[in-house]
Amino acid sequence: MENETKNVTEATENTEQTPEAAQAAPAAEGPAETAAPAEEKTTRIPIEKLSPRQLLELDACTRCGECSNWCPAYDQDQREPLNPRGRAALFKDIISRQHGVFNADSFLGKLLGKKPVTDEEMQEFAKDLYACSTCMQCHFVCPVLIDTVELWERIRECVVDAGYGPLETQKDLVLKTKNYDNPWGQPRSSRARWGKMAKKKKRIKDAPKDISKKPAEVLYFVGCTASYDNNVEEVGINSVNIFDHAGVDFGILGNKEKCCGSVLLRMGDRESFKRICTENIEQFNDLGIKTLVTSCAGCLKTIKEDYAKFGKLNFEVKHTLEYVVELIKSGRLKLTNDVNLKITYHDPCHLGRHAGVFDAPRELLSLIPGLEFVEMERNRENSRCCGAGGGLKSGYPDMQNQISQKRVAEALTTGATELVSACPFCYQGLQVGIQAMDAPINMRDITELVCMALGEGPADEAEKKE
Amino acid sequence: MYLYFEATAALYTLTVITVLLLVAGIICSVVLWSKGKAKSLHHQLNIGAVIKAFIVDVVLQLQILKVSFVRWLMHFCIFIGFMGLLAQTTVIAFMSHFLPADLAVSKSFFVSEASAVGGAGARVLDVWGDVFGLMLVVGLVIAIIRRYVVRAAQLETMLKDTMSITLLTVIALTGFLSEAFRLMDPQFASIAWYSFAGYTLTNILEAIGIGAMNYKLWVWIHALVSFFFLAYIPFSKAWHIFVSPIEIVLDASERA
Repeated sequence: MENETKNVTEATENTEQTPEAAQAAPAAEGPAETAAPAEEKTTRIPIEKLSPRQLLELDACTRCGECSNWCPAYDQDQREPLNPRGRAALFKDIISRQHGVFNADSFLGKLLGKKPVTDEEMQEFAKDLYACSTCMQCHFVCPVLIDTVELWERIRECVVDAGYGPLETQKDLVLKTKNYDNPWGQPRSSRARWGKMAKKKKRIKDAPKDISKKPAEVLYFVGCTASYDNNVEEVGINSVNIFDHAGVDFGILGNKEKCCGSVLLRMGDRESFKRICTENIEQFNDLGIKTLVTSCAGCLKTIKEDYAKFGKLNFEVKHTLEYVVELIKSGRLKLTNDVNLKITYHDPCHLGRHAGVFDAPRELLSLIPGLEFVEMERNRENSRCCGAGGGLKSGYPDMQNQISQKRVAEALTTGATELVSACPFCYQGLQVGIQAMDAPINMRDITELVCMALGEGPADEAEKKE
Repeated sequence: MYLYFEATAALYTLTVITVLLLVAGIICSVVLWSKGKAKSLHHQLNIGAVIKAFIVDVVLQLQILKVSFVRWLMHFCIFIGFMGLLAQTTVIAFMSHFLPADLAVSKSFFVSEASAVGGAGARVLDVWGDVFGLMLVVGLVIAIIRRYVVRAAQLETMLKDTMSITLLTVIALTGFLSEAFRLMDPQFASIAWYSFAGYTLTNILEAIGIGAMNYKLWVWIHALVSFFFLAYIPFSKAWHIFVSPIEIVLDASERA
């Protein structure tokens, strides 16, 4: 298997393949699993994978429809199964017919006219189930505060187990994550390439040290998107420059870094997630670090919130911007240069609603001199999702594009020239909308503004395009 | 012991059947829930958070108030009105069976040889019933206007929505009508205003020429519809009245 992986590495090591390109073209030869395992479909939903509370949640829905006012997917396609209320009702109907006291096979069920669940129904249900970015907006507006995202992810797990999920276009991401430890199907050996290239181009002083060889207090977890996507590698470069500026004792895992597994969990492949999560927890805990810092909202949510359900972490987990605020407050970092830009901030769903980090980005923006910050109409808990998460971008790219355009349009109404976020995935997702609209607004990661205020200068646009 | 309406064997039988059906319905739901084998809670139950959420989000429903006053008023009135009436009926039923008849408190609450209208306790029940009954009516009127007149965009009306609203409306109306017709009887004249809503209806009915009717017939209609509704609860939209609070407090505990 190692040889096979090496072949993949050699075949793709010298390419500048973006994650998008990687998604379009299947990974090179020789992955550990070249195709999805033969699927055995069964219309029977394995409800034992859900908790009693989650089954109760299906009854707790009051059908008030508040979620339908906010759901970004339903906003694009107003079919009832696409909104959380409809999805919960449909799933309840399916499991009642299969597992309820009056199920379709029972005498009373037959008497009541209950029909067995068909293959077509399951296919339709699965298709609509994945038309969700797991943005968690529905939880925040639900008067019953149903833990919706956890519920959808568990239902996805059931659907995967039954052989109906994920969608064809999403299977590739899952397979690549399992085979290459990143959803973009890029070789493990080129994971740290961004650092070497940045050093070569003199964008950073030194390539970050390998923490597995030289221990450090802080592990900078770069994440798959910032590691492999050339358009987003600024996030890593900026973070490294900030840490260097403040004299932080940090390191990265380099090629030993693996995907946090978010993709697997969101797609419903909990078993594979469990494996990657357990391996990561063991690896992180063995490093003896005090803090794990990541610039990716998805990684933060996964490591901080989801890993805690599978094992104990012996360190704290922070987003880069939270850590930067601490550095500034402790006097280790001084933002001295004026950044004369009018910006608006997009709360990433996984950072805001999922991890509860709403104040830190605003505090950081207020500490940057010269910056004019304007809030969008929908912000904080009600921030409009960019549509990139939860597999929506790979499953429903057109819908994601439309959702993203709505968010970009909202940003434009503020009069800001810069749309700032704190997640490489949102960066990609919003970029889709900006390009589709040819919108006069620049997408920036929050670390870029910090670098500008440090006098490190903004990323060179020409170099970025190159 | 009884108040205004004597329990008969038929009423007892129907009560037992209703309770059995209600319990069976609850068991059906619990059986389905118990088929889930994953962990329900990832943290220890936080009692402080549970109590706070129960007061703020279950009883006061402030999370709905933040979104819309009208929706809050509707939901709060239906919830509190329904629970208040259910509690009143339950209290009367239990007291009339388990309280010894010769106690002063029993005489205060129920009809006795000394008084056909009961004592101070009965007046509490009169006011109690009208306050919560009126709340239920206010909530239902708003719900009917929102769902069937204004047709709020976010609402999707299914048969179970209409069933619950219809049954609750019939329960509330027959409750007040039975009270209004009872209060036409002169023997209740001295205590009529304690049932302020019912008595107002009495005056309206008399003003439009509707005379005294056998109020016990209306009580029977009220009881039958109420029994049907109670037995139907676990299979109806109203099931959320009991289930949603569980989720609200569990979520608060998990996020505390």
